Formats: sequence, structure tokens, C-alpha cells
Amino acid sequence: MAIYLVEIFDYDLVIVGSGLAGLRAAIEAAKVGKGKLRIAIIAKNQLMRPHSISAEGGSAAVLYMDEGDSFDLHAYDTIKGSDYLADQDAVEFFVRQCPVDILELEHWGIPWARREDGRIAQRPFGGHSYPRATFAADRTGFYEVHTLYDTMLKYGNIDKFHEQFVYDFLIDNNTFRGVLAFDIPTGEIRIFKARAAIIATGGLGRLYGYTTYSHLVTGDGLAIALRRGLRMKDLEFVQFHPTGLVPSGILITEGVRGDGGILRNAKGERFMEKYAPSKKDLAPRDIISRSMMTEILEGRGYKGPDGLDYLLLDFSPIGDEKIKEKLSQVREIGIHYVGLDPLKSPLPVRPSAHYTMGGIDITTTGYTGVTGLWAAGEAGCISIHGSNRLGSNSTSECVVFGKQAGGDSAKWLLSNDKQVNLSEGDRAYAENFIADAYKDKGDNDPYDIKRELWKTMDRDAYVFRNEKDLTEGLKIVRGLIERSGKITIAEKGNVYNQNLIASLEMKNLVELAEVVIYGALQRKESRGSHFRTDFPKRDDDNYLKHTIIQKVGGELKLSYKPVTLTKWKPEARVY
Amino acid sequence: METLKISVYRRDPATEGEGKYVDYEVPMEEGMVVLDAMKYIEKHIDPSLSLRWNCMAGKCGSCSAEINHRPSLMCKARVDSYKGQKITVSPLAAYPLIKDLVTDVSQNWDLLKRIPKFTPKEGLEKPWKISQVDIERSKEFKKCIECFLCQDVCHVIREHNSGYFGPRHVVKAASLDMHPLDALDRSTFMNKDAGLGYCNITKCCTEVCPEEIHITDNAIIPEKERAVNAQYDPIAMIVRARRKGRGNK
Repeated sequence: MAIYLVEIFDYDLVIVGSGLAGLRAAIEAAKVGKGKLRIAIIAKNQLMRPHSISAEGGSAAVLYMDEGDSFDLHAYDTIKGSDYLADQDAVEFFVRQCPVDILELEHWGIPWARREDGRIAQRPFGGHSYPRATFAADRTGFYEVHTLYDTMLKYGNIDKFHEQFVYDFLIDNNTFRGVLAFDIPTGEIRIFKARAAIIATGGLGRLYGYTTYSHLVTGDGLAIALRRGLRMKDLEFVQFHPTGLVPSGILITEGVRGDGGILRNAKGERFMEKYAPSKKDLAPRDIISRSMMTEILEGRGYKGPDGLDYLLLDFSPIGDEKIKEKLSQVREIGIHYVGLDPLKSPLPVRPSAHYTMGGIDITTTGYTGVTGLWAAGEAGCISIHGSNRLGSNSTSECVVFGKQAGGDSAKWLLSNDKQVNLSEGDRAYAENFIADAYKDKGDNDPYDIKRELWKTMDRDAYVFRNEKDLTEGLKIVRGLIERSGKITIAEKGNVYNQNLIASLEMKNLVELAEVVIYGALQRKESRGSHFRTDFPKRDDDNYLKHTIIQKVGGELKLSYKPVTLTKWKPEARVY
Repeated sequence: METLKISVYRRDPATEGEGKYVDYEVPMEEGMVVLDAMKYIEKHIDPSLSLRWNCMAGKCGSCSAEINHRPSLMCKARVDSYKGQKITVSPLAAYPLIKDLVTDVSQNWDLLKRIPKFTPKEGLEKPWKISQVDIERSKEFKKCIECFLCQDVCHVIREHNSGYFGPRHVVKAASLDMHPLDALDRSTFMNKDAGLGYCNITKCCTEVCPEEIHITDNAIIPEKERAVNAQYDPIAMIVRARRKGRGNK
């Protein structure tokens, strides 16, 4: 068992997470800091392997105003898609910034797809009234990550730390002082003392069993923020992507439908014609996911393994050449994971947990309200997505607001010389935290708890929700939280100890699950991704507001925050 | 229930001088991949088994190992494709061992950092115009997921301390050199600093690439040709020098 070597690092800025938001933040902080700031970027895995690489379809940006697209149109689509829960001032800022930041990526070398005339090509995406998803085949996020990573390497003052498990932040008197982590290959404890940090750890991820998220995403940054009293906003809104590949849940990009693919039920019907007569298969994700589950629940689906009943995604209208050129990865996934070639056969799909609309309550520059602490990307909630995000707005969000958080934190660091200090107690705290995690505290197995959590969330907090299921789910999750304190981890070694990591991740997930279900139970209306069968209508009189949940003395404290409306009045959402 | 017999290399360098192969039996499942078997062992048989993994979808490049001594991604290696053969799993042999199946591949981070970065030509009119064909050419190399299987299989890296950066890094250079608007010529760097001349084009790297990048034919050979032209072809040298003088490539 461990001898806890504590190594202390000293930085101006620590960025936690190396996805699109974290990488973009690091570049901007280095640029604005002009070599005067000591910056570290740390991540749980090797830095160039964040979950952002899995983003497939595209990044939204208004590039062709002369052809009919406009900022107002992108903003309206986003706000209508959000079911009017997005803050409209933030959305207006976002849509104006997207083209600037998307073209910047081009100048850093990303292989954006082209039109015949050599200019950037864009593809249609769900809920957008203009084809404005800028893309690089069906691996947009992957190319974006690598472009940003390469660009980051140009800056000498960014230190890179791979495979660091972050387990707490030092925050006192509403002021951030440092990040606590351990080095996964050695088990060595590390304190990253810092004047500022940016949380860019992504969404809730593996809260669900059937999901497009990679196993890496366990909401670590969100859970630490929750425990440290930060405000969690709108966490009950979880996006279910219509086309998760049965049985694994692997993402099949919306780009398939953008390029002409069609969803069909077991009777062969193009059922989306019924639910969204004008947008059909390119309606927003919440609407398609609900329509799919209605088809399945009414018996027009196919029987799948472990209750994963499914529908079919038909590629035939796209054409073989286009599939080979623009959807080559999807094709490979089909062939490899289910033995079906989309050139010859449709793929089995079902709504899969995909994205966290909510997050840490932040401003448009990513500020959390805690001195020295910012957040960006999926971990934050500004909110530009409200209760339902449109496809291709998230990678753009990461780039746009990663840049904002990086720039704003760097400016703040340059404008003051406020120092932070560590105390002897910090070191003892950091050591005891891990020593305690190794201790035998009961006969619960962390993997069992995680499996039960998945079962509960997949059943009680999925596409359709109601009071009875949510109440039952909350009870189960609270039981799991209790059990999560009474576990024994089987492996006691220091080096690459996945049992230790799995147990800490599991604790993060169960605590976040409580917030998701609690928020869902309190929101007695249906809006965007959150659909209550017992309250099937949107209720603007009572719920046109953001849910804010804070953990105070171990209890969840609920409050609300108004939505900022500028020029778009809430109206019925018809597609 | 049908079970799978699988042999896994185990060693903690902190306490064990020699490694050993340990046999495990895991329940077979439809569509099972080698990574599933490793995770089963870690969860249900021996929690001390260390492995690096993440997306389970062949995209992140974390779970590289050798399966029957062939460099492979564990998440893509279906156990039913080894019918009849015994399956043996061991760490990448070209890299220092951290524990069991986890190796230290960090030397690659330093090599990647040394390759001259994307540098667009000056004074380009905006928006940039590039044809799709040109995009595809550099995109093939940008597909690389940095799993380092090509590095592992390369006998120059395994057997000779030559200073050759390895196939992944030639692919990186090619991805930049073949960007239609890039202004640099990396051939001298690749030849002098990255030891490209040591590659004797056995094509092993191409065979193991999970992204099916034509590493040898499309990256290494063209990069070698550029290097040779740059160094030895007097006419090419004059043309290049004059072009450079005009601020173009």
C-alpha cells in the first residue's frame, strides 16, 4: 500500500480537462498571458484522448450570410431548440463568435470539408433552419482536438500533465487556491497550487448505462464543484441522442440524417413524418427521441437484447458514394461492432444518453462566482442550450467559450498579483483523502453500485419521466450514496490502480445522480429534453426559469434563476 | 456457458524482475473483444490487473497491446476472430513497462513537439480556397489516433537505437507537408533529425494501422523522396531556393 509522496507544483493557472474547451482555454490563456503566466493543463487520461474526439457531425457557424443564413436565424434556431430556456443574450454573443472561432481553426490547419469552389462546405443538422454544420468528414471533434493540441504545442509556457486523477479543489472563503490530484502511473499525490483554475471536465457522462459517452466521462469536475458548494444549474436536462447503436450505445452521427438518412419503425414507416411534419428526421433531438420511444412503447419497434428495443436507421437514400466519402467512420462502426454494413443494411438504433445541458452556473466569460475559478464547455452552463441542445452547437460552444474562459482568467491574473498560500493542513488533507479511499469501510463493491446506478437512471430518469419513477429513483440513489461510503476496494497498489479510480468516479456519479433526479422531480412541467408524462405541457408561468441546486451541509438546496429573454418571446414549438 | 481461455502478461516492475504469463478463464459473450475479457478479469478475477482503456470504440487509441505478439487495439480485437488459437495478451514491447499491459509511451510527446508546426503561407486571400481532393490528401494522415501500434511493430525502433522517430511521426510530418497551404519544407528535418533514412520500408507499420492509413506508400515513401530531392537533386534545389526567395513554397 501507498507511501504518499506529495509533490507540490506552483502555477498561475491550472486547466483541468483537455477536451476542446480545455485546449482552447489553454491556448487563449497563453496568448493573452504573453509568456508571463505559468500554465498547466492536466487530464485524467493522456491529453490527446479526451471524449471530445468522439464528436462526429459538425460545428455550427454562420458562414454564408450572402446565401441566406444570419446570426438571428442561428440564434432563433438555438433558442427555439432550447424550448426557450436558453439565455438569449448569451446565445446572441455565441452565434456572432462562432464564425470567428471556426475560421481560426481553419487557419490552424483543420481539414474542413470543401465545396466545389474550394470554400468551406456545411451540412444540415437537426433543428437548424440552414445547413450550417461545418464538418471534417464524420470525425469533426477528433480533427478539432488534434488541431488545437498541435496549436497548443507552439506555446512554451504550458506544462502538460497526463493521467492525473483530480479529486478535490482547495477553496476557502469563496477563493480558489489549488487542485488536488494523484498521478495515475505512480500513485503519487500532487498539489497544484494555483491562483486560478478552469474546470473543463465535461458532462455527467456515465451516469447512464446506455450512453454514447466514453467511460472516461464521470463528471469529476462537476461533482467536486457540487461538494464545494458551487451552484449547479439545470442538471435535470440530459440529452438523449436519437441514434445510439444497439446494444453498445455508440454514437451514430446526426450527420447521417443530415445527409439524407431516415428512421423507420418495424412496419417500415418513416414515422417522423407524423411527429414533425416539416423537419421530419431533422427535428431537434428531444423530439426525435420521444417519437422513437413512443413508437417503441406502442409496439412498433424491434425486440432488442436486455430490453434495448430499437428502430432502424436507413442509409439507402444517401447513396453509396456519399456514405463512403462523408460517413466512412460510421460505416466502419457498423461493420465492426454489429457486423452490418450501412451500404447494404440499416443500423439498429435507440436514444442514448449523450449530453448534459446543465452544469456549473457561469457567466459568458466562464466565471463561476468563486474568486479564481472558471468553467468552460460541457461542465459549464451559461446557458446557450437551455433544456435541449441543437446538434453541432456543442463543439462550437467549447471552442467559443473555452477561448472566453482562457482569455478572461488570463486577464484577471495579469491585472492583480493576489497570491494564494498552502498550509500544513492542506498536505495532510490531501494525504488523508487518499488514505481514506484505500481503507476498508464495508462490504460494498464499487462496480456493483455503479451497475445499480446505471439500471436506475436508464429506467427512472430516461426520455419519459414521472413522479412515481423519479421518487423511486431518488430513494434508490440516496441508498447508493449511503452505500458508496461503505465500500472496500479490492486492489491496494499504487501503480495504475483502476479500482481506486473506479471507486472515486462512482462516488462522483451517485452524488450527481441525486441532483439530476431531484431537479427533475421538482420541475413539474415538460420542456425540451425533460418530459414528464404527468405534466406533459410546458408551463412558462411557473417554470420559465433555471433550476439552481447547491449542496449545503450535505443537503440539496433548491432555488431558481430567471431566464434572460431579449427579442424572442416563448411560443409553441412546432417543427 | 462457453468460456474463453486467455493468457495475460503480468509484471509490476517495482517488485518483480521478471514477468510471467497467467492463464485466465472468462465467460464468452457474443461480439466479445479482448478488452472485454481484460475488464472482466480486472473486475471479477484479479483486481490488480492494470490496463489503459477509455472509449471502447476504436477512436481514442488508449488500449494498444500485443495480441499473440501482433500489435493490436484490444477494443477492436474480437475474440471469435482467433478461433482455434490460444490468445496471449502482452504489453507493447517497444516501450518501458509501467505495469502489466500499461506502457510508458510518453517519449512520443517529445518527438511530436519537435516536428515543425503547421505554418500557412503568408498573404493568403481569405476565405481560404482549398479543393476537397487536397483536403483528403492531408486528412488521411490526420486520421492517426496515436495508438503507437506502428511504432511498436517497427523493427528499427525495437532493435536499433538509431534515433529514427518512427512511422507515426513521419505520418505527422506528411499531414503537415501535404496541407496545400503549408509553407514549410520538413524534409531536411525528417532526414537529419528524425532519422527517416533508417526506415527500410518493410511496410509492417501499414499492416497494423487500425485506421488503415497507407503509412509506407503514402507517407514514408513520399517523405523519403522529398528528402532525397531536397538533398541531392541539384535542379530541385535551385527551383526550391528561388521559390523560397519569392516567399512561396
